Amino acid sequence: MLSRASNFISKNRRFIPQAATAVLAFVAYGMGFIYFEGMRNPQVFLNLFRNTSFILISAVGMTFVILSKGIDLSVSGVVVLTTVVSAALLRAGWNPWAVILLVLAIGMILGAIMGSFIVYLKVQPFIATLAGMWFARGMCFFISDNAINIDNRVFRILGQTKILIPGLKELADLQGTPAPYISIPVVVGFIVLLIGIYLAHYTRFGRTVYAIGGDEQSARLMGLPVNRTLMLVYTLNGFCSALAGLSFCLFVSSGHGLYAPGFEMDVIASVVIGGTLLTGGTGYVAGTFFGVMVLAITQALIQFIGTLSSWWTKIVIGVLMLVFIGVQAVLANRKIGDKALDARAVRRRRQKLAFGFGAAAVLVLLAIAVVPGLRGNSYNGQGETTACELEPFRKDEAARLIAEGAVIAYHRLAGPACINEMYVIYPDGRIQKDDGINTTETKIAPTEVENLLKTITEDYGWYTNEIRDTYHVPCRQCFAHYVIVAYEGQEKGVTAVDGGVNMPPGYGFTLAVIRAVLPDGQ
Amino acid sequence: MKQLADRTLRWRSITESRLFFPTVAFLLVLLFDFLFIPGFFTIENRDGNLYGSLIDILRNGSTVSLLAIGMTLVIATGGVDLSVGAVMAIAASVAGILMNPSALRNEVFFVTDPTYTFQPLWVVIGAALLVALICGLWNGVLVAYMKIQPMVATLVLMTAGRGIAQLITNGLRVQITYRPFAYIGQGWFILPFSLYIVAFVLLVTWLLTRKTAIGMFIESVGINFRSSYFSGIQESKVKLMAYTFCGFCAGIAGLVACSNVKTSDANNTGLFIELDAILAVVIGGTSMSGGRFSLLASVIGALVMQAVTQSMYAIGVQSYALPAVKSVVVIIVILLFSEQVRGLFLGIGAKKKEV
Amino acid sequence: MSTMNDYILTMEGIFKAFPGVQALDNVDFGLKKGEIHCLVGENGAGKSTLIKVLTGVERPDAGQIILDGVEIHPRSPQHSQTLGISTVYQEINLCTNLSVAENVLIGREPRKFGRIDWSAMNVQAANLLKRLLDIDIDVTQPLDMYTVAIQQMVAIARALDIASTKILILDEPTSSLDANETQQLFKVMRKLRAEGVGIIFITHFMSQVYEISDRITVLRNGKLVGAFETASLPRVELIAKMIGRSLDELDDMSSIKLESSKHIKAEAVLDAQKVGRAGSIKPFDLQLRAGEVVGLAGLLGSGRTETARVLFGVDKPDTGHIEFDGATITDHGPLGSIKRGVALCPEDRKAEGIVDDLTVRENIVLAIQANKGWFSHVGIQEQYEIANRYIEMLNIATPTADQPVKNLSGGNQQKVILARWLATHPQVLILDEPTRGIDVGTKAEIQKLVLELADEGMACLFISSELEEVLRTSHRIAVLREREKVAEFSGEVDEHVIMHTIAGSEL
Repeated sequence: MLSRASNFISKNRRFIPQAATAVLAFVAYGMGFIYFEGMRNPQVFLNLFRNTSFILISAVGMTFVILSKGIDLSVSGVVVLTTVVSAALLRAGWNPWAVILLVLAIGMILGAIMGSFIVYLKVQPFIATLAGMWFARGMCFFISDNAINIDNRVFRILGQTKILIPGLKELADLQGTPAPYISIPVVVGFIVLLIGIYLAHYTRFGRTVYAIGGDEQSARLMGLPVNRTLMLVYTLNGFCSALAGLSFCLFVSSGHGLYAPGFEMDVIASVVIGGTLLTGGTGYVAGTFFGVMVLAITQALIQFIGTLSSWWTKIVIGVLMLVFIGVQAVLANRKIGDKALDARAVRRRRQKLAFGFGAAAVLVLLAIAVVPGLRGNSYNGQGETTACELEPFRKDEAARLIAEGAVIAYHRLAGPACINEMYVIYPDGRIQKDDGINTTETKIAPTEVENLLKTITEDYGWYTNEIRDTYHVPCRQCFAHYVIVAYEGQEKGVTAVDGGVNMPPGYGFTLAVIRAVLPDGQ
Repeated sequence: MKQLADRTLRWRSITESRLFFPTVAFLLVLLFDFLFIPGFFTIENRDGNLYGSLIDILRNGSTVSLLAIGMTLVIATGGVDLSVGAVMAIAASVAGILMNPSALRNEVFFVTDPTYTFQPLWVVIGAALLVALICGLWNGVLVAYMKIQPMVATLVLMTAGRGIAQLITNGLRVQITYRPFAYIGQGWFILPFSLYIVAFVLLVTWLLTRKTAIGMFIESVGINFRSSYFSGIQESKVKLMAYTFCGFCAGIAGLVACSNVKTSDANNTGLFIELDAILAVVIGGTSMSGGRFSLLASVIGALVMQAVTQSMYAIGVQSYALPAVKSVVVIIVILLFSEQVRGLFLGIGAKKKEV
Repeated sequence: MSTMNDYILTMEGIFKAFPGVQALDNVDFGLKKGEIHCLVGENGAGKSTLIKVLTGVERPDAGQIILDGVEIHPRSPQHSQTLGISTVYQEINLCTNLSVAENVLIGREPRKFGRIDWSAMNVQAANLLKRLLDIDIDVTQPLDMYTVAIQQMVAIARALDIASTKILILDEPTSSLDANETQQLFKVMRKLRAEGVGIIFITHFMSQVYEISDRITVLRNGKLVGAFETASLPRVELIAKMIGRSLDELDDMSSIKLESSKHIKAEAVLDAQKVGRAGSIKPFDLQLRAGEVVGLAGLLGSGRTETARVLFGVDKPDTGHIEFDGATITDHGPLGSIKRGVALCPEDRKAEGIVDDLTVRENIVLAIQANKGWFSHVGIQEQYEIANRYIEMLNIATPTADQPVKNLSGGNQQKVILARWLATHPQVLILDEPTRGIDVGTKAEIQKLVLELADEGMACLFISSELEEVLRTSHRIAVLREREKVAEFSGEVDEHVIMHTIAGSEL
């Protein structure tokens, strides 16, 4: 039995990196599942896919680029260019399907141009795609300086359609909770993933990509169409970037050249964590999927931990990348002066890879688990200026009230007076205030409520990725907020603290308009 | 006949000099400015200090110049350092916190007294530079001893570094009001103070690389590390030194940058600036595969980039559209440096073949 | 159809020159159908250039190539492949990250409804390997899991399968194989020969030449020495044709040698005791004394360069130890050697010698500077002095000391490297093929120089594939054969004795 197991492992040695990533993803999610009640909500699991479908789409294309020993830094540029072009053309009245086709074509053309620089002018991929990124982002601003909102029926349907999951719907109905759903971009993401896997393993194109990454010189000598394949790789990646851009665009319902900064790093990190070596030739598209999942779960965990701000995501991702890259590099080390490296020695070293991965992954997870515990307390370590004794957000209560018909629930904590107030607004204009001691009620006109909701959702894009949780422990001057808005069948709750670097402007505006109708005007 | 040969020789020695291309580029940009931007070249004299667009180019380009100096050494060894922007942010964070640690206690403590600082100036600067040095050391160990590809190794710090910077300032933007520190980026002594810093760093680096063996070793390692090894040069030590120094320069640049805006902002300090630095070095003629380098040419390259930026602003191009212009510059540079095009212009013959 | 004596390939009057050197000078070559033909010659003889011309990597300056009665002009390796010329190089030109089956069939994978049919591919590849080469391996595993021997087999299988191969070129295929694997390869070669394929086999292992080949063509310094039936060419004669000297040549070298041999010290400066390295060189003893030139004679691949590398410290010995001036060396490595005063002028000057973008001056002072460390700079004036001194001494043809070394011809580059090491004033100087690619006149100069240096007290190790050089320059000669030091001769010794020792045959 044991020997059969070890046989199986040694035969499939090359899948160990991907397996490690998958295990990492499962374990991380499992830990979150255990520690945080919120993560047991199936919607949270599905949101992992909803929030990262555009990363997945782009990462599939990027996998091919990295497999061919190249790199493409332009993806974020193409993504935002796609959003801006789409938004502008839709605003000008174009047919949405024509717009979709056009932006996909633009993506492919840009990819092909960069590919030709790389293949025929022999420019380093790093520089060529960097120029491409700058160019694409710059082009956005020739179209428009400000964000352009998208107000198109087809796009709205594509972006906001909820695809219910059969089994879970019945479960949810029983529990009285909203049915968990995914969106169309998620489905598109999976389709792209499957196509990517097919291309990589069942087409000559895919196998040539692997060959080029293994040894470009040999591939040429073996008669493979290296130049043509490389051109295709970058064109394909341009297509994926544009498609990811569309997906992103549906998510945020607008277009602006400043969106998605650092997107390319997230994508590259996903591919690397998914087990694809930056040195090319090794890796699997399926692994990239798990890499994206690790990214998504890390983000989710950090949100749920709450005391860490979102920039911890970057640190964790950086550390994970280092682990994956570093172990591989050390094991593939080559000594100067040696004329040849014994193939068997390399294999032996790679066997140690599995243990290295496992140990490192466990360490990282421990760090995520342990550090919040330490970190949380040190906030009060300095003595005089303690933050308020914070109550937890009354999220459940708010959700219940929304289910019972309220449209806005707004919970406010901390501040100089260490308050704890919850406001609930109903469609008929009632506003209830509960500060833990008393409950008071005021009334405004129902049309005002309607306007308020419209402003929040349409002008400030409430249901977009732009408005997200950003939370750090508040100081005496600032307030912590939890706002949940229900409109046209959608609900979204966001926690944030005003002050600090990360609060999204749209959120700030939302708070401002809500406060404007509240009784205290505060 | 001899006169013609002499003149050709002299012409060739000029055109083949490392400084030729970036200087020409710079002059071209200035020409553009002269023709299309009125008043670009005016220099005012206010209370003994000089002001004007040209001065602005020098001043605003000082951070990229500082980065370019360090980056030149790294690229000359055949590597690259993508983390310099993040290291700038880290250095700025350290400096900010040491002057105004209220962020650590979760206070937004508004300092109004320009003579207030939590730690003396030399501690602030020293600590920030030390941390930057350690970042460079980290990169150096990854590249030189663990033999990780430079792009990959520095990518790690680039991704995680801003997070670390935010960790230091607790996610808040730290206000800097201490006037002696602000002098670094905003002071003026006939010319902007940051220029003197750049000149000083340039001089020190030049001494370090040309008056010691370090410059030759860097070039040798970048051109052919095996031959260098056989000649007794220790590649690892050379690379470690290059990356450490690059981190140090990034630290200085970070101090200049944050004193310029009087804020230590972990998110925005040095955002995307690494790409400008790399391009400055490339314009300065250092090949990305390593080898011969010229510090002055890299600085001129940085100024070319800044001049382009400034000129674009002056003719009304929005800051957001700037990347598009930069990309055109990159493309032109690439084309000019590519083997094929170069061969056409300078008549370089085919390389010698060996049996 | 035709008789087995027909020529499948004739190359006539091939000339090929590179800047500074005539690589092929009126070379003829003929390959018969169903024949294994060995192409032999030392470094610089022109073997690889001939193959490059045949496979389309280089175009000949003059000459004809006739394949199967038709004149051909190969344009590229792929083109020559389609013409029927398959080549398997020493560096396996396969993608080791892909599976065995893929490496055999990539570009021609069997497909079903447009997608790759993996099971069919695996079956096809396994069958191919079994049928052509009689090997049975798991074709689904990645290639880098297998030994170099198997990888070579896969390369051969791919080459054979692609087009109907008329000629198979095997370039040093046995360098990384052990005895069993070599036999396996030979079995395959015999099988192919029986099927009428003409095989060009390039190797430096004499025993293999005699075991497998039908005919031998010898090249030397770009010229054809001759084509011979293997059965009628005794080994020692072959070696004589490859490296032997013309017998009637008198010069004043012997008198210089006689003079200097009086100054040889008794104690060894560098003493290698039972030093060996697995896969590189078997344990040997060697002593280098001040004032003495020791020559290393042997064929290519006999372990000469490996010996040099171990003595200089680039390779660490697995067994034994090396003593310098009586003290055991613990810090192996180039820098340690330089500090002690041991210098190595390496064989591969492009990869291990010159730093091509640096100037002549910088190349020359590089090792001295490395010795002095980072901060103790050799002043610019002093650098020019040193550089100019050696430019004059070695007659280096360069307009100024500021010329980038890459612009110099190969021979002059070699002199620059030599200058670099001479400038470190070493006590022990190891020279690995110092005269390769240098004109005859300068060769003699360098040989004289070596003796003069010995006279001044240096201990020299002189490695060359030209036996006459070794004989002229050395006081003592160590003979290597197949990675082992087999003999040592001192004083006046007959060339034939040495050649027999190299050949391993009886006098």
